[in-house]
Amino acid sequence: MIEFVLDGRSKVNTYMQLVQQVKQALRVGLLAPGDQLPKVREVAQALAINPNTVLKAYRELEIEGLAEGRPGVGTFVTRTLAGASLPNQAELRDDLVAWLHRAQAAGLTPEDITALVETTMRASLPVEGPARQSASAG
Amino acid sequence: MIWLTWRQHRREALFALAGLAVIGTLMVVTGLAMRTAFNDYGLPECVARAGDAGAGSNCNRAFNQFYDQFSAVSLAGILFLVLPLLVGLFWGAPLVAREVEQGTHRFVWTQGVSRRRWALVKFGLVGAAALVASVGYGLGVSWWVSPLNQGWRQNRFDAFFFDMQGVAPVGYTLFAVALGIFAGTVWPRMLPAMAATLVGFVGVRVALATLARPRYLPARELTYPVQGTGEPDPTGGDWILSSGVHDASGRMVAPNAQVICPPGASGPDGRACGAELGLGPGAYNWQLYQPGSRYWLFQTIETGIFVALAVLLLVLAIRRIRRIA
Amino acid sequence: MEAVLETDQLGKRYGRQWALRDCTLRLPAGRIAALVGPNGAGKSTLLHLAVGLSRPDAGVVRVLGEPPHHNPAVLAQVGFVAQDTPLYRDFTATELITMGGRLNRRWDATLARTRLADLGIPPGKPVGKLSGGQRAQVALALALAKRPRLLLLDEPVASLDPLARREFLQTLMGSVADTGTSVLLSSHLLADVERVCDHLIVLHAAQVRLGGAVDDLVTAHRRLVGPRHDGAPIPGVAEIVRGSHTDRQSTLLVRTDGPVTDPLWTEHDVALEDVILAYLVDGETQTNHAAWGVPA
Repeated sequence: MIEFVLDGRSKVNTYMQLVQQVKQALRVGLLAPGDQLPKVREVAQALAINPNTVLKAYRELEIEGLAEGRPGVGTFVTRTLAGASLPNQAELRDDLVAWLHRAQAAGLTPEDITALVETTMRASLPVEGPARQSASAG
Repeated sequence: MIWLTWRQHRREALFALAGLAVIGTLMVVTGLAMRTAFNDYGLPECVARAGDAGAGSNCNRAFNQFYDQFSAVSLAGILFLVLPLLVGLFWGAPLVAREVEQGTHRFVWTQGVSRRRWALVKFGLVGAAALVASVGYGLGVSWWVSPLNQGWRQNRFDAFFFDMQGVAPVGYTLFAVALGIFAGTVWPRMLPAMAATLVGFVGVRVALATLARPRYLPARELTYPVQGTGEPDPTGGDWILSSGVHDASGRMVAPNAQVICPPGASGPDGRACGAELGLGPGAYNWQLYQPGSRYWLFQTIETGIFVALAVLLLVLAIRRIRRIA
Repeated sequence: MEAVLETDQLGKRYGRQWALRDCTLRLPAGRIAALVGPNGAGKSTLLHLAVGLSRPDAGVVRVLGEPPHHNPAVLAQVGFVAQDTPLYRDFTATELITMGGRLNRRWDATLARTRLADLGIPPGKPVGKLSGGQRAQVALALALAKRPRLLLLDEPVASLDPLARREFLQTLMGSVADTGTSVLLSSHLLADVERVCDHLIVLHAAQVRLGGAVDDLVTAHRRLVGPRHDGAPIPGVAEIVRGSHTDRQSTLLVRTDGPVTDPLWTEHDVALEDVILAYLVDGETQTNHAAWGVPA
């Protein structure tokens, strides 16, 4: 079972924050198929948020095929995001570390590196998920 | 609702009960003392013979003695006069005013009970309690005051005595409670409601006692000669509204006076009776009065008026409550 | 969808002053709606009309399909917590629960007791001696014990400290998740509103300025930055809610009815709070330098 936290200053929608936290947990293997997500009531009460928001987040996860609701029981994880990528992550990480050293040697500051990574990602990877990013982009 | 009414007002009820118990004890103790003294001084006999000229100075002395001894006690009578007002101030006025002042009307009127039912049960129960209390002290005071009434040779119609015994206190009490409740719906704060109750109660009571009460029924007129028989019986308890001596033409010559000479007597200088006052032949005594036999009728009328006023005020209060938000 | 609260041209007057005017709105079932506006905007008036405490002077109000004034049938299905949570201060919480049982046909005393026990509220202490937060919890538990279909709360957390406020909202959200009750709460704490509510009604100067589902409202509003605006219509913009101008640039908060494609304008998302504030400000502020005796 995971516990949700809310970042009050984040510009990301509350329900999107919940979705992202579940995905994050799936990626790092904190949640596995068969695991139950916290009950809507518990999340609503703990975070003092609208239960409809929690429902919306869970529905989003169902649409993405990551979870399924069982009436009267709760919502359960059906798929993991870690699966394929988890074994590959160590290797990719090594590549990244090597690349970072090269960037540093080339005289880039950490801010320069972050900016370079973000612009490159935006240019070469499609935007993921339905979250609107225009606020920060515009 | 009944549970709520009791729970909300039990403290007032217990205070009132304690107060009535104290007053009751006081009444029994002083009442018995008065009765004993009344008998010891031989006053029952004097009262019975009040009309006789022969009752004489012994009786007068006894009456005076009784008066002196209990004039302080009679101050307690004032307390009985204000009892109805106290009930109105402390039971009636806060009933709606306190709810609205503290905002709890928004709590209780949004439960599953209609405002009308809330009002009917509350007014009904508080009214019933006031009724029981007032019947209690009305009867008690009637018993307590009767020796004073007789011993002071006071008329039961006198403002002080009429107002605190019999059934009139019941009418006053119900009126005071209703006035308090109504005032609370008009000025929904405790102090203004209580002030309005005080002013309204005293105003209506004084107005009715002085202006209306003498006219509940057409007063009777009595005339009797200056010299001779036919003078009214002082033990009859008539309420004399106005009196005087008229001359032969019917003109008032001596207001608030009466002249009575024994038959055949004449003045010290041989002139006719009353001549020194300027009375000519044919002058006669005149009085306007309400007969003593009307006492209970008047008590009933007075009570009826106040009960009717109380009902009217409660109906108005219920109508006003519909509009408080 | 069924409406729990519906008003049409609703108005309420105190003397000659309209406290609420031409109020037309519809609150669907299952929502948690916020009633937002400055003090004196008519929030309490609307809630009092909805709970039948006062009678409309104009228009209609329907709660669960029926006019609520002098209607115990409606009252039985509506839970109400008035501003400052008035309770009989000399009653204990237990006595208040007993009282509710005597005054309501449908009454879940066990629910109220369980709720207060969970919160650690002493049952035998006069509620006047409880903290403000505890008293608010008692009032909420009493309102919920009616098992209402609609819960109306008038500034329930305004007088509470931040911790008590959070606890109150937690209890409220837990209960809503349990029961599916519709809620209409008035508040001027926009952060709470944003967190808790999915429907919004903005009242200002006795009138409804904005109403609708929060998601729709947020999506429909945009901040546009561009060259100084001369009032010409911008394609895609239904209404300019608020604008501020320098000699070269205009910043507009707009309600859109389509995509704004004009390249002159840069489009930004807005937060709910920005939308609310834009509707609460009356056009351009009138300056009064002369009245203050300072140079403009």
